[in-house]
Amino acid sequence: MLAMLTASCYGSAFSIAELGTRAAGMGTAFIATADDPSAIFYNPAGIAFLPGRHMQMDALAVVGLFRFTPSATPVDQVVPANGYSGSIRPHFIPVASMYMTQQLTERMTFGFGVFVPFGLAANFTNFNDSDPALTKFVGRFAGTRAALQEYWFQPTLAYKITPNMSFGVGPAVVHTHLFIEQSILNPLDDGLTFGRDAANKFLPNLPVDEAAAILARLLPEGRSRVAGTANEFGLSAGWLYFHPRSKTSFGLMYRSAVTNHLGGKASFALGPATAIETYLPANFLYNAFPDQHVTGSFTTPATYGFGIANSRFRNTTIEADIRFQDYQRFNTVPLDFSINNASNSDIAVDPEKRLAFNFHNSINLAFGAEKPIGRTMSLRLGFMWDKSPVPDQSVGPFFPDANRLSFTVGATKKRGNRDFSLFYEAMRFENRVTNVAANDDIYTNGAYRNFAHLAGIAVHFDLGESILFGRH
Amino acid sequence: MRSLFIRAWFAAALSGSLAAQVKPGLDTTTWVVMGEGLAAGMGNFGLSSPLQNFSFPAQAAAQMHTGMSQPLFEPPGIGNFIGTPTQEVRLHTYPQGSVRQFYSVPDSQVTSPPVFLTNLSVPQLTLTDSLSLRPAPPIAQRDMKQTTVNLILGFPQLFLDRVPLWTQFEYAQAMNPTMVLIELGYYEALDAAVNLDPARLPDPSVFGAQYATLVAGMATNHAQVIVATIPNPLDTAYFSSPATAASIVGANPSVIISDWQITAQDYVARAALSVISFQLLSASVAPLPAGSVLTASTAQDLTARINALNAQIVNVARAQRAVVWDLAGFLHQVKVGGVAAGSLTLTADYLGGFYTLDAVYPGPTGNALIANNLLSFLNATYGKGLPLIDTAKVAALDPVVLYQKPAGAPGHIIRRK
Repeated sequence: MLAMLTASCYGSAFSIAELGTRAAGMGTAFIATADDPSAIFYNPAGIAFLPGRHMQMDALAVVGLFRFTPSATPVDQVVPANGYSGSIRPHFIPVASMYMTQQLTERMTFGFGVFVPFGLAANFTNFNDSDPALTKFVGRFAGTRAALQEYWFQPTLAYKITPNMSFGVGPAVVHTHLFIEQSILNPLDDGLTFGRDAANKFLPNLPVDEAAAILARLLPEGRSRVAGTANEFGLSAGWLYFHPRSKTSFGLMYRSAVTNHLGGKASFALGPATAIETYLPANFLYNAFPDQHVTGSFTTPATYGFGIANSRFRNTTIEADIRFQDYQRFNTVPLDFSINNASNSDIAVDPEKRLAFNFHNSINLAFGAEKPIGRTMSLRLGFMWDKSPVPDQSVGPFFPDANRLSFTVGATKKRGNRDFSLFYEAMRFENRVTNVAANDDIYTNGAYRNFAHLAGIAVHFDLGESILFGRH
Repeated sequence: MRSLFIRAWFAAALSGSLAAQVKPGLDTTTWVVMGEGLAAGMGNFGLSSPLQNFSFPAQAAAQMHTGMSQPLFEPPGIGNFIGTPTQEVRLHTYPQGSVRQFYSVPDSQVTSPPVFLTNLSVPQLTLTDSLSLRPAPPIAQRDMKQTTVNLILGFPQLFLDRVPLWTQFEYAQAMNPTMVLIELGYYEALDAAVNLDPARLPDPSVFGAQYATLVAGMATNHAQVIVATIPNPLDTAYFSSPATAASIVGANPSVIISDWQITAQDYVARAALSVISFQLLSASVAPLPAGSVLTASTAQDLTARINALNAQIVNVARAQRAVVWDLAGFLHQVKVGGVAAGSLTLTADYLGGFYTLDAVYPGPTGNALIANNLLSFLNATYGKGLPLIDTAKVAALDPVVLYQKPAGAPGHIIRRK
């Protein structure tokens, strides 16, 4: 089961909301409904109302169409006719979640969930290192690949305070894996630094800046890769209240921020040898970028949600949610290198590199409806609006993000003690054009045009109404 | 809550079926020049720093704020000069400190030559040489061309271990240029012209194939390639019409035509001008030495063959997305109507101020005017706003513009007895 839990996805920023198929069919408006085991993710208080034992597995597939057309490129840059495509292999990525609940007493229910509320997979690597520079992805110095998976292993306890009110809390072990890759020795940036240092030695007949520009282009292009993991703790909590007379429920949810203290490895690779390397000491450039241990940290945001649902109208449940994420916590990602130029001037790696993202807080509005059809079938519709937390300066190969509108449909068919659910989501991104002067040298300014298709399936087992401690 | 998605590869596959876009333009960051004596800055019978500093690539690069690393030679310089006897290679002697100019390195007692060059032009270099002639030890050899190649393309490489010895073509590729100017073929034209033998020019198809190799090699680096057409030596000061020759020696044109059996359509070579002068002064007319007169028919043949080579250059450029700079056209204009440099009007006549005393390579102001023509071409072709050179300022420093033909009406100095 755990082997299925490979989350490698790419989100608006990097949050994932579609971790329950029923909820996703309702546009992820599920905080106040929270009546299946995926409530462990959407609102832990909801499992208090699940009698007996339940198990649910959700699988999600996502297909994204991402296009970036740069507004400025180096002269003679070869740009695909329809812009660059962000891509990952395989053509779609499976994301799986697993939830189970067990009623302990009349009032108390235990649950356990494994899910991935944050994930990212970006891949703009359309080239080999040996390819001519002007055929490679133009924004490669801003990033080529990124992967993030934040797994939450969350035991949850929910308690019914009254027959219509509950709360739940779930401390979680959070395991995170981060991988980022980008090209290095940009002739307009770090390569130029090398050029200035070497100008007097190689081209003493020219002004330093003119010599540096020439020498920077003689360096081999390289790539840096940083991979690290972290194990931290997180917390989820929720509150749910149902008002029987008006058939209205209210829900609150909270998921804590997690500061991930990463430990891992940084590795460097340089492209084919160039003219200048024969004039440098043996392995000079190779030794300047040693593979090494790296540490770093970043924070995934806290989530605060409120939902209201009503099922009085034609036996149809209608829900509206609002969620807030304090993404401003994700401002910089410091990476600290153990072998650096502070103690050895032959090393080209600085002691610390800070990846600046400076995200804004974000808000998400979700609306959904569920209509039972007969005794064994139900249909769903949903709508969601997502405000992107990514500022223009950070829109690039890692986060080609924009505000989004999503429309969802879903259905469930019950058979015996099992029910099967499906959903589909069409996610339209607003076209986004960036023009940030600070990004001129990394060529991430331009037009971003994206669309995504998401589809999911779930199977839910109702394993009887046994209560572990006591009689039903 | 944010939602999730991935990016799909099939979109990339779709893009792969469409033609890629290339944003045209000109990046002048690394400008490499592949040429012969003209682009090297040769003049006054040699290659040395006083004129190299005014080579048209150096002057144009300064306007672009682009580094142009040249192999500066201390005077008297090096190089065979076409139309004169081959010189011996001599090792430098006092007061010449070194052949190549060295530079002091800041914060160091060391002086050093530049390790890399971007003006790779070598006097006497042909298109074939560009592709095949590489530095070879020892650095000074009996052969002047090989020695010149050694001192330009192989210095300091010949003194270093485990570094490649590149041909001009390989050197240009290794420099990973953003912009390449090819000024080759002129030496072949000069060689055919001064030897009065158009058949010495290369076969156009062979020339075209070699030129294509050169341009294609630069295209693999995605450098913007600018190819210069081959100037016609008849447009230089090396060849004078009888009327022009008469004005230079101060004689009446009819004297030149009648005494030496030269037709009005023939050309008098530079070396013959002094011979004619001495014979007139000594009143002893004798046949001119071989190579003194280019007949009209030979001139037509020469022009036709050079045009054929230029047609090859244009075809290669069209096929390989290079642009053609009509250097030949500009020098022809200078020959026909002269050119202004500030308040001066320079002509392509011998002693006309455009060319140096060797009559083939221009002086500082001539180079500035060529550079301005190139800059104007780049501005028009690429929409650039590169500033032009103030040629009046260059002329103020240029002794070549002070060259003067004898003043007065033709024949006022020497009259036939």
